Amino acid sequence: MTKVYSPSSDFTSSHTSPLAKIVNTFKSRYPISIVGTLLSVFLIFRIIISILSNQLYVPTFAPGSGVEFYDLKNYEGLADGWQHEERILFCVPLRDAAPHLPMFFSHMKNMTYPHHLIDLAFLVSDSSDDTMGALVYHLREIQTNPNKNVRFGNIEIFEKDFGQVIGQSFSDRHGFEAQGPRRKLMARARNWLSSVSIKPYHSWVYWRDVDVETIPPTIIEDLMHHNKDVIVPNVWRPLPDWLGSQQPYDLNSWQESEGGLQLAKTLGEDAVIVEGYQEYATWRPHLAYLRDPYGDPEVEMELDGIGGVSILSRGKVFRHGSHFPAFSFEKHAETEAFGKLCKRMGFKVFGLPHYVIWHIYEPSSDDLRHMEWMAQEKIREQEEAKTQKIYDKVWKEGFEDVTKEWSNDRINIFKNIDTTKFTKGKSAKAKIVDWSGSDTFQPNLPVQGVEDKVAAFDPNKN
Amino acid sequence: MQPAINKTQFFRQIRKKPLIVLGPLLIIAVIYYLFFSSSKQNSKYSYKVKKAGFFDRRPDVIPRNLPGDHISHYDLNKLASTPMAVYNKEKVLILTPVSRFYDDYWVNLLKLTYPRELLELGFIVPRTKDGDLALKKLEKAIKQVQTGKKENRFSKITILRQDTDSLSNQNEKQRHALKVQKDRRANMALARNSLLFSAIGPYTSWVLWLDSDIVESPPTLIQDLVSHDKPVISANCYQRYYDEENKKEAIRPYDFNNWVESEEGLKIAAQMSDDEIIVEGYSEIATYRALMAHFYDDKGDVNTEMELDGVGGAAVLVKADVHRDGAMFPSFPFYHLIETEGFAKMAKRLGYQVIGLPNYLVYHYNE
Repeated sequence: MTKVYSPSSDFTSSHTSPLAKIVNTFKSRYPISIVGTLLSVFLIFRIIISILSNQLYVPTFAPGSGVEFYDLKNYEGLADGWQHEERILFCVPLRDAAPHLPMFFSHMKNMTYPHHLIDLAFLVSDSSDDTMGALVYHLREIQTNPNKNVRFGNIEIFEKDFGQVIGQSFSDRHGFEAQGPRRKLMARARNWLSSVSIKPYHSWVYWRDVDVETIPPTIIEDLMHHNKDVIVPNVWRPLPDWLGSQQPYDLNSWQESEGGLQLAKTLGEDAVIVEGYQEYATWRPHLAYLRDPYGDPEVEMELDGIGGVSILSRGKVFRHGSHFPAFSFEKHAETEAFGKLCKRMGFKVFGLPHYVIWHIYEPSSDDLRHMEWMAQEKIREQEEAKTQKIYDKVWKEGFEDVTKEWSNDRINIFKNIDTTKFTKGKSAKAKIVDWSGSDTFQPNLPVQGVEDKVAAFDPNKN
Repeated sequence: MQPAINKTQFFRQIRKKPLIVLGPLLIIAVIYYLFFSSSKQNSKYSYKVKKAGFFDRRPDVIPRNLPGDHISHYDLNKLASTPMAVYNKEKVLILTPVSRFYDDYWVNLLKLTYPRELLELGFIVPRTKDGDLALKKLEKAIKQVQTGKKENRFSKITILRQDTDSLSNQNEKQRHALKVQKDRRANMALARNSLLFSAIGPYTSWVLWLDSDIVESPPTLIQDLVSHDKPVISANCYQRYYDEENKKEAIRPYDFNNWVESEEGLKIAAQMSDDEIIVEGYSEIATYRALMAHFYDDKGDVNTEMELDGVGGAAVLVKADVHRDGAMFPSFPFYHLIETEGFAKMAKRLGYQVIGLPNYLVYHYNE
C-alpha cells in the first residue's frame, strides 16, 4: 500500500473539531491515500515538465565533422571546481627562464589540484638561453612519469618574440623609467598567451611566474574556494640577513586611493603609473604591507590593481574580454590595468593579505655592489686580524705593562695636590674644603722600589 | 584428537587473559592510525568528485588517454597576415553572433570564394527561444555542408551558447530605442568577446566579423579586404528596399557606426559622465561626425580608403594580431564608446590604423 503524508489525517487523530468530522467521513468513503498519491504523481510530473521545458536546445554533431558546440554557462567556474572536474588553464610566460625551471617543475609535481584537469600553456619569448630545450625536457619527464596522476592534461608551447627595450637583470627591469614601455610589452605577451590558449571549456585561468620559491601545493584550491572572479595571494621575498631577512615583493596589488586618482588626473593620456617608485606617490594601501604573519589566511581584501606573480581568475573574465592592457588604461598598464579593467567590467577583484607565497630573491645592482664590498671587507678584516696579531705580540714583547704600578703611584703623586684648584669656572672658588682631619693624616709610604728592566725584543724571533 | 584439545586450550587461554590478543591488535590499530590515517585528515579539501545531477547535461570535456609526451608546439613568429593571404595559405576565422538565422546569410556565406580548408567559422547564440530557433536552423545548415563533399567542408566550426542572459524580445523598434541601446550593445560586446577568445587559435591570421543579417556581399569579400593589408578594415553597409515614390528597387545607407570623429563629438564626450555612451543615429545626440555611410559614390573607385575612428560590426576584417594584442569589444563605456565603436578606439590606442571602404558595399537584410 502506498503511504502518503497528509496533514489532515494527522490533524484528525488528535482533535475532534467539526472540520475534522467532515474530513473523517470523507476519509471513510474515499481512501485519502489514493487521492494523495495521484496528487503527488501529478506534481512530480509537473516538475519534470518544467525542468525539461526550461532546458535549452543542445545540438549534436558527429565527432568527425569538425563542428564543436559548447554552452559557456557550463564553464562559469565553481568554488569547488576540482570536485566538479572543472578544467583550468595554467598560463606561464617565460623569458630567459631556464635556471628557474627545475624549481618550478618541482612545485608543479606537488600540486594537489587533479593534474589531468590542468592544461598548461607556455609562451617562450625573446630568450637568449635554452629556455625552450629545458622546458621540453622537464615536460617530457613529467608526462612520461609512470604514475599517471602526475601527468597533466593538454600542453601547448607558443613561441613569439616581441623585441625588448631593456635587459632582464633585476635593476634593468625594476628601474622607474623602464617600467612603462616594459609593462606594455609584457602585457602584449600575456594577451597573446591567453588569447591563443583559452578554450571554451576552461572554467578557470591561473597565471603564474616561474620564479616563485615557496608556494603551498594547494595554491589553486586555496585561491579558488574564495569564489572570486579574480584573486591574488600576497607575494613576499626572503632577503639576506644584512637586508633584514624578508621584504614585500609585489607592490602592484593595491586599493585605489584619493591620492592615486588625483595623480591620474594630472598625467597625460599615455602615462603609466607604476607602484613602488617615489616618483609617483599615490598613498595607496598595498596588499603587501597589510600582511600580519599571524593573521588569518582566509582574510580577503578588495583590490583595484593586482600583480601578476600568481593570479587565479575565472575563464569567463578573459572570455568576456578582460585582458592585460598594452596601452595606458586609466593610467595603468599590464596586470595593474587588468585589475582596473576587471573592476570596470563588474568583476570582483580580491587579494589575500595574510596568505603569502615567496618569490625568489634576486639581488639588484646596488645589492650586488654592496655584496662585493662586503666580500672585500671580509678579506680586509682577515688580513687586518693577521697583522694585529703580530702587532700585539710586538707590543707585549717590547713594552712592560705598568698599569698596576701606576694605580699605586697615582695616589702618591696626587696626594699633595689640591685638585679643586684645577676645576675651571667661578664655582670652583666658592668650594669649601674640609681640612679638619689633615693633622691626623698618615700617608702610606711605598714599600717597593722600581726595578730597571731592559726590553728583550728580538725582531727576527717574532 | 590432539589438535582439538589444543584448540580448546588456546581459546581458554584467551578467555583467561584477553589482553594477549587485544594488546597487539590495539597497538597495530594505533600505529595504523598514526601513520596512515593522519595524512588523509591533514588534507584541507575533499577530492571526491561530485557527480552531476540527473537533469544536468554537462558534456564530458576531460581529455582521456592522451599520449604521454603529448606536447603541441606553435611558432607564432612565423604566423603572418599578408595581402597574399590565399597564396600564403593564411587561415581566416569568420565570426558571427547569431540571434536570428537568415537563409540568405548562409547562402551568401557559401558563395565566398576563399578556400574552405582555410576557413573557420564561429557562431554564438543567445540563451533565448530565438537563440534556440536560430541554433536549430544553423545546425541543419551546417550538417548539410559538413557531411557533403570533403573539399566543400569548412576546416572547423565552433558554436557557442552565450553564458550571460540577454534581453529577450528584440523587435526592430525596441532594438533601436536609445535607452536599451547601452544594455543591448554591452551584451552584444560580451557575445563577440566570448566568441572571439574561444575561437581564435594560434594559427588564425585574419578575423572577419560578419553580422548574421548581412545577406549580400561580393563573393571575393575576404580577398578584397585582405588586399588592402590594413589592421582593421570595414566595408560600407547598405540596405536594398523598394522605393515607393520612384516605383523601383533602390539602396539606402544602413549602418551608421562607421564614422570619423568630430570636434562636436569630442565636446559632447568631454561633458559626459564616465558611464554614459554616445551612439550614432539619434537626434538626441548630434555629433556631426562624418559618417562613412554618406560617403558612398556609385561611380567612385571601390578601393577608396578613408581613415575611421569608429566601426560597425557588419563586415569588418581584422588582423588577428590586433585582437591578440588585446583589442576587444568593450562592454562598458570606453571613451564613451561601446562594442564595435569602442573596439575601434581600443585598436587605435594600441597603435593600429582603422580604415573604411566607403564604396565597397555589403547589404543588410530588410525586415
